[in-house]
Amino acid sequence: MSLLSIEGLRVGFRGANGGVIEAVRGVDFAIAPGEAVGIVGESGSGKSLSMLAVMRLLASPARATGGRVIFDGADLLQVGEARMRAVRGRDIAMVFQDPQSSLNPALTIGRQITDVVRAHQQVSAGQARRIAAEALERVGIRDAARRLDAYPHEFSGGMRQRALIAMAIACQPRLLIADEPTTALDVTVQAQIVDLIAELRRDLGIAVIFISHNLQLVSEIVDRVVVMYGGKVVEDGPVEAIELAPRHPYTRLLRACVPSLVGPVGPLVAIEGAPPRLGRMPAGCPFSPRCPRAVEPCASEMPEMVGEASRRVACWRPQ
Amino acid sequence: MNRFGPALRAIDWTGWLGAAIVICIVLAAVFAPLIAPYDPIALSVEDRLSAPDAAHWLGTDQAGRDVLSRIIFGARASLAVGIGAVTIGALLGVSAGLFAAYKGGLGEQITMRLVDGIASIPLLVWAIAIVGILGVGPLPVGPLVLPNEFKIVVLVGCLFSPVFARITYAVAKRIVGADYVKARYLQGASHWDIVLGDILPNCLSPIIVQATLLVAIGIVVEASISFVGLGVQPPAPSWGTMLSDARNAIYSGEWWLPVFPGLAISLTVIGFNLLGDAVRDLFDPRSEARTLVA
Amino acid sequence: MLRLVAGRIISSIGTLLFVGLALFALTRSGPGSPARIVLGADANAEQIAQFEQAHGLDQPFLTQYGKWLGDVLRGDFGKSFVTGRDVAAEIVNALPVTLSIVLFAFAIAVILGVGIGILAALRPAGVFDRLSRFFSVLGLSIPAFWLGIVLIRFIAVDLRWLPPGGYAPLSAGLAAHLQTILMPAVSLAVYYVAVLARMTQASLQETLRGDYVRTARAMGLSSRQVVFYALINALPPVVNLAALSFGYMFGWALIIEQVFNVPGLSRALLNAISQRDFLLLQGIVFLFTTIFVFANLGADLLNRVLDPRQRAAA
Repeated sequence: MSLLSIEGLRVGFRGANGGVIEAVRGVDFAIAPGEAVGIVGESGSGKSLSMLAVMRLLASPARATGGRVIFDGADLLQVGEARMRAVRGRDIAMVFQDPQSSLNPALTIGRQITDVVRAHQQVSAGQARRIAAEALERVGIRDAARRLDAYPHEFSGGMRQRALIAMAIACQPRLLIADEPTTALDVTVQAQIVDLIAELRRDLGIAVIFISHNLQLVSEIVDRVVVMYGGKVVEDGPVEAIELAPRHPYTRLLRACVPSLVGPVGPLVAIEGAPPRLGRMPAGCPFSPRCPRAVEPCASEMPEMVGEASRRVACWRPQ
Repeated sequence: MNRFGPALRAIDWTGWLGAAIVICIVLAAVFAPLIAPYDPIALSVEDRLSAPDAAHWLGTDQAGRDVLSRIIFGARASLAVGIGAVTIGALLGVSAGLFAAYKGGLGEQITMRLVDGIASIPLLVWAIAIVGILGVGPLPVGPLVLPNEFKIVVLVGCLFSPVFARITYAVAKRIVGADYVKARYLQGASHWDIVLGDILPNCLSPIIVQATLLVAIGIVVEASISFVGLGVQPPAPSWGTMLSDARNAIYSGEWWLPVFPGLAISLTVIGFNLLGDAVRDLFDPRSEARTLVA
Repeated sequence: MLRLVAGRIISSIGTLLFVGLALFALTRSGPGSPARIVLGADANAEQIAQFEQAHGLDQPFLTQYGKWLGDVLRGDFGKSFVTGRDVAAEIVNALPVTLSIVLFAFAIAVILGVGIGILAALRPAGVFDRLSRFFSVLGLSIPAFWLGIVLIRFIAVDLRWLPPGGYAPLSAGLAAHLQTILMPAVSLAVYYVAVLARMTQASLQETLRGDYVRTARAMGLSSRQVVFYALINALPPVVNLAALSFGYMFGWALIIEQVFNVPGLSRALLNAISQRDFLLLQGIVFLFTTIFVFANLGADLLNRVLDPRQRAAA
């Protein structure tokens, strides 16, 4: 039984001439309770937009144009705004890329966490503060009770991201979506945040969707990897399979972009060309213009996802 | 033109409307003697207070003067003060801003503190008070005898200058620190080359935007000062004095006396504001939050 | 924090002293010395010297300024050379009238301007967005004194709903007081409603796009709280503009008082000008300038409370 199941999700931008430009073109995958899934792809692959669509946080002119997001037996794309508000933060929480701008600069950390707590739980101000202090403690901020009164600018980048994660877990959600939570941070801090997320998942049993362009980083903490390209899922499988035996040429190249810390050091590769532009998608496989293995049907016909549920690939010439 | 060609097409109709209004009013002011149907100050007792009709499209005032002709000639005082004050303000402010940003050190401190000082002067109160002190008579300067409006132009210009000084300073300060300016200096460019060739052109677009919007404020200031009798002196026509004269007509019912000069002011101000907004969208669409007030 | 506030206050006072000096110099630069103005053209040199000595006008310029400033700090604006009346008393007589109109207008401007701005920012292309656009073109373009004239014509003369002018103090009853200041205040406020609505809308639209607003929504905060999160960050430029507006309103109030024939500081100032009573003029202008400077100082300090980064930084 999956916790969250995304079926045929599409996201489009309303263009100036009234047409719709699709940026996410039919994404399917599911996540089980307590599972950790990494969504990997370059910027523009539609990974963040898909998750914003799940949270119903897309800002105009982007909007979900099709598909279903099943959570607790209901389609989140269809439920009322009040119901959705109750889901956000309490059942599913999301943290974003830039902790610098994601915290409100005018309010204390404590105020921002207690506001989340009191939005979902009928507790007194004192209780909310205690819950907030616990959450801050949980994400590894020392002297948490006192740090509640600090403002975001008094925190370092890593501490801000910790504070945001504390906001996200304060109400013990069942799913945490982390959208490139380490991209804006120093390398050493990146590792700490990744470890923190892994630890929270282990200790609290929270399912995690970790969005990143860095396959290597994601592989350290997830069970399964979903690779996206051009608004579509191109490969999906257990992390070991994706790491050791990627089948889609894009996944292979993505893996070769980052030096492995464990395996043999092969040549570093840069993927030729640029990701396709919105509205200029090839009729066939979106990766075909850059694909070293492209053959006859690739540019004209979109390959179907094939394989069993736990190991799928969409490619005419998989490896 | 190449650079702005596509952007010009992006200006919406309100921008073009503003430009059209401004052009019409400027033309009316420049060619007032040719356009105006009557002498704006000729008295005509038998024609007093006639309602708008075929002979006097906008009626006549208490002294039988043609309202339309007075409005057309009144545009001269309004535009002279509006544009003149902005020109003086821009010259003073831009020089001060460039000097402070380029010179640095004590000169910078003193200049910008002076700018802060002038910026903390409430415009209209001081304009009224100082014209009041100096008197409303013409001002002899050497062989020239300057009209009272000249004092207002200089005064309002000085009080407008901090706006220009602050924008120029902010932009120039950024550029002075840029590497390419240091490179130009090492290549042997003179101070003037750098200030006028590299720094000033980069300050121009926000300056033009603010200038256009400030003209509108200058026009209302002129009308207000004239309204209390300290601006354009009778019998010379000005929209402010016309409104002041029209106050008695509020009760007696000659509606055209207060309505048309007021419309003239509003139309001109709308024209400059719409034009200013369009110029801002053209040059610097992100700067919407910077609002002028007076 | 305390040192910062003190620094800002001292800097404001410094500005005021400097601007006051400019004012003092300008009032003495007009044609004719005070002695000539008071004693007339046929006074002899001895009479003039006696007059100047009696009023301290023979002292060095800076000494005169220092003495005047010291007296002003004690609430003594001097005695008019022309009328012999106490300047402070005259200002105290007229100030409540002007203050009442300006405060009422300011309240209208802030409530309507900020209100329309918020509603317009929340619903782009909605009713209030259009209302705000309409206001910002029209409100910015209608000179207050012309609006006053039009209001008198329609509301007072044609409809007879309100008196066309004059002033009833608060002591004459709240209703009577409001009746006399309603039209002047509305005329004065319209421009500032437009200015503040425009600024509030632009600023709030900007902060509503902020990442922290997305975070607040992602955590399931109510829409009211989400708006609060954006608004608290949108306020600083609005506060600054409101303070400037408050300061400038006194200037336009001078014109409005003329239109509505209200016995406020405008009448006192114009009388001072026509009688060349420069002590009175100096006092009024200095008062307005002080209000202007301190309104901006107040905004600055308020923004330090609103924005913790400013509180910490220089």
